[in-house]
Amino acid sequence: MSASFGSALHSLANYRAHNTRASQEVLEKGKLLLNSNAASKLGDDAWAFLEQLALAAIDVAKYDVADECIRQLAAKFPESPRVDVLTGIRMEATQPPETVLKFYEELLEADSSNAAIYKRQISVLIRTGKIEQAVLKLSEYLDTFYSDVEGWVELAELYSSCNQYTFATQALSHALLLAPQNPFYVLQFAETAYSADDIPLAVKMFMLAIDTVDRHTSDESIPTGVSIRAWYGVKLCCRVLSERSCSSASETPLPKNLNLLDELATERVLTAYSAGGTDNATGRELVFSWMGPSDRSGSRLHFVH
Amino acid sequence: MVNYTVGQLAYLKIFFHAAKHPHLQVNGVLLGKKVSGTVEIVDAVPLLHHWTSLSPMMEIGLDLAGKHAESLELQLVGYYQASERLDDTALAPVGEKVASKVKEGFADAVAFVIDGEKIGSDDAALIPFIAQLPSSSWRPYAEPGSAAPFTSGSLFSLSSPDIPARAVALVRDQQLQRKFGDFDDHLENVTIDWLRNRAAMPSDIQQ
Repeated sequence: MSASFGSALHSLANYRAHNTRASQEVLEKGKLLLNSNAASKLGDDAWAFLEQLALAAIDVAKYDVADECIRQLAAKFPESPRVDVLTGIRMEATQPPETVLKFYEELLEADSSNAAIYKRQISVLIRTGKIEQAVLKLSEYLDTFYSDVEGWVELAELYSSCNQYTFATQALSHALLLAPQNPFYVLQFAETAYSADDIPLAVKMFMLAIDTVDRHTSDESIPTGVSIRAWYGVKLCCRVLSERSCSSASETPLPKNLNLLDELATERVLTAYSAGGTDNATGRELVFSWMGPSDRSGSRLHFVH
Repeated sequence: MVNYTVGQLAYLKIFFHAAKHPHLQVNGVLLGKKVSGTVEIVDAVPLLHHWTSLSPMMEIGLDLAGKHAESLELQLVGYYQASERLDDTALAPVGEKVASKVKEGFADAVAFVIDGEKIGSDDAALIPFIAQLPSSSWRPYAEPGSAAPFTSGSLFSLSSPDIPARAVALVRDQQLQRKFGDFDDHLENVTIDWLRNRAAMPSDIQQ
């Protein structure tokens, strides 16, 4: 085997190991191997390579290459669920969605334990705007594959996109049970609770998000990323709570010392700005004036009726 | 009916925002003023690309964008949105709410949805939505004379006809959209200048 084959094989294995979606590069290197029929000399690695090349080829619309890879894989592994998924992805590229959905439905009827087929089917439903069906399918999928955190988050996002914020928080609570340490899920839960007009629950979760991130940093450090966003959220919740009485569907109690919390949120957000460069001075002034006492122009959006 | 003109700065910002996140829904607000029967849309402020269906950061972003508009002696005059899917040109439920909110402060408010079919062309890739009275639901604006929006005879026009072609060229040749940031980006890194985006604008545009 020549040196260029060796290096091509090495990079391709590297892309696989790191899940790099470098489709153009994979195609260029992979075609070299495919044309010279090197695949037959690769041993068991050959099949992973053919799958990789097929996906890359679909990505950049070189369907003839993809078809050749799938043909070789199907010949080696007839009725393999993994090859079925690949065949489905290939169909999605050029076939009408109804045809692909029918293909997936038949596969699921034969074997309902193929998680990848479920996910493909759900993604086609979302992509074609069939949100209600996607919600049904995804719920059905999560009945079987409960521990799929990203599945619960996706379900929450589908609910949110249709203004079903209470259902969205329920879906997110499963994600939080499965991955309690992930601050992004906590933050998303807080923002969803706010959108569902459960402000006491929102403020509690914003604070939990800050706690999850800051567990390993000192109290005096400058807030970044998730914590800035969460402190902004706390500030907004305090403001809403001071303006009107808020009920809580989850019966979450209000935080004690609301005024102190409000002051702390203001201080934390402003600290983040003081640490920034000087080139954003106008933006900073604006935030300072927004943070000031009750000069809010009242742009509360009533997302829930 | 009033007329609407979209200026270069506003168009470029909407375009860059959509181009930076081709696989996500993005949204933002339009800044402008009404001058003798014409709404001049001169600037835009990009808001979200992350959780576009959730309200808290949208509320804060709207507040700040409104204050920013005041400091420029402008008003919030509309809303824009690009969809996740190329063929989806509907105004999302959140879009209707934000646009209605803007309308409370500016009666002639308009909403634009990016037209995925036209985004790579020399035509204005914006579909105007207007609130229908009395139900206040937002519908794509149909011109009485059946002229398509942004063609001659339409209520909608660009301040210069070559803006869409320029926007495409700036994204294709200079990738200016990579330097563009919205309120979501700003919340991750507060030094990102989401209100002006000077770093992403070509040097001949003053703001």
